Amino acid sequence: MIVADLSQASRIRERRWVTQCALSRVCGCCAMSLERPVAFLGTGREVDRNAFHLPPMHVGCAEELRRTPGADPEWRLVTTSGFEFVRPDRDDPDPEPRFEPNSLVD
Amino acid sequence: MAISDVQEYMHLTDEEIEQLGRELDAIRKEVEDSRGPKDAAYINRLIRIQRYLAIAGRLTLLVGVHDKRTRVPAAVTGATLLALHKILENMEIGHNVMHGQWDWMNDPEIHSSNWEWDTAQPAEQWKHSHNYVHHQFTNVLGYDNDIGYGILRMAREQRWSPVNLGQPVYNAMLATLFQWGVALHDLDIERIRKGEKDPKEMKRQLKQIFRKGRNQILKDYVVYPALAGPQWRTVMAANVGANLTRNLWSYVIIFCGHFPDGAMHFTEEEIEDETRAEWYLRQILGAANFEGGPLMHIMSGNLGYQIEHHLFPDLPSNRYGEISVKVKALCEKYDIPYTIGPLHKQYGQALRTIIKLSVPNSWTNSDKPEPPTPPQKRRRRSDSERPDRIRQLGAWSRGTSQERKAS
Ligand SMILES: [Zn+2]
Repeated sequence: MIVADLSQASRIRERRWVTQCALSRVCGCCAMSLERPVAFLGTGREVDRNAFHLPPMHVGCAEELRRTPGADPEWRLVTTSGFEFVRPDRDDPDPEPRFEPNSLVD
Repeated sequence: MAISDVQEYMHLTDEEIEQLGRELDAIRKEVEDSRGPKDAAYINRLIRIQRYLAIAGRLTLLVGVHDKRTRVPAAVTGATLLALHKILENMEIGHNVMHGQWDWMNDPEIHSSNWEWDTAQPAEQWKHSHNYVHHQFTNVLGYDNDIGYGILRMAREQRWSPVNLGQPVYNAMLATLFQWGVALHDLDIERIRKGEKDPKEMKRQLKQIFRKGRNQILKDYVVYPALAGPQWRTVMAANVGANLTRNLWSYVIIFCGHFPDGAMHFTEEEIEDETRAEWYLRQILGAANFEGGPLMHIMSGNLGYQIEHHLFPDLPSNRYGEISVKVKALCEKYDIPYTIGPLHKQYGQALRTIIKLSVPNSWTNSDKPEPPTPPQKRRRRSDSERPDRIRQLGAWSRGTSQERKAS
């Protein structure tokens, strides 16, 4: 999947789509079945907290997205075999659903 | 009655429901932190057993059917072994692996993205229709296609039509041909009929189903029978028997998960702005367990712990038993109904609903439990006690929120 610019992949920030990717185990970018390892893109803070907000992706799709105009220059790529999907709670300081990789792969 | 606000339905305060959420989070965390080699050994052992069962079943049929004296016992034994293999593979292994329950092991094969199961539905479509549509929108009317699978009327809120008179027959057909019913599930025939389905996506899905279905048919009804030469009919009959047994068993188990009387339905107002704690509560109220020993639970993919599976669909299934003890205690503490009963009773209730709802509502009474009475006497509430979300007002608030968006 080639993403011409980030606006095409804009749904990667939509809560509905993020939840669907998490549960259906599809790539947030190209909507096809995920592969092992699963890739997450996150800022340094997200990497440190081990809590990512963009949906899981193919490694190739994540790399592509990182090079796309409009991408966050801070994004780092983390690969994992599995992840926990965490729904936000009431009064959660982080109101968005998030992903916690649980088995990092180099 | 479908529930439009789980918290209000249960008479729980904000503080209580948040506390319940935290206690369930703690159960989850404990399992996450303690999963390890013992759990990995469990799933690896089951996969090995399942493979031995398949090999033993196929070999028994190939070798045993040629001699007249061993033909019938070989056919029966072979069919039984194959049925056990398919049940284990579909229910305790395939279904749970595809939820990502074992992804943490970092095993290239036992991973949600790689497992393809021994049934007609392509894994990718199952992960959409089951993991997402059913688990995210559990028992929400109009959202969860598992409420009757588009064939049966399973909630009194669903409008009756004369077509529903045939429910007992459709039900028997669905049970017999369950793997093919499941195979077509994600196509969402209702949306196709209404012309809402993207034709490109539909074509892609149909191709996948055709390919997977053809391979299943080739394997069980062409290749293995052909290997038996002149006795191909016996092998084919045994394979039909194995598939039929798996179909009936998985149908019964799945129908016991959400169709017994205690499992409640919800309206779409409930899922608007649902918090994690409310999501947990909806899962408890929408699911039903059944009782059984350890072997029974393994052979039903641990779906006898349907409530625990719905609370934590991606925790390893071998842990649901220990989790259930804690969940049950929490339900007692917060006075939340925990629906459980013997398998025959749970299925009996599901079957009764299928038959009752084949006729108009006015001919029968609802078997769903009445809402729990509030723990204290009802009194007028002050404004500060009133929930700040207007979705409690049901259909009226939906209209106004749409108007608000329009303005
Ligand atoms: Zn992709």
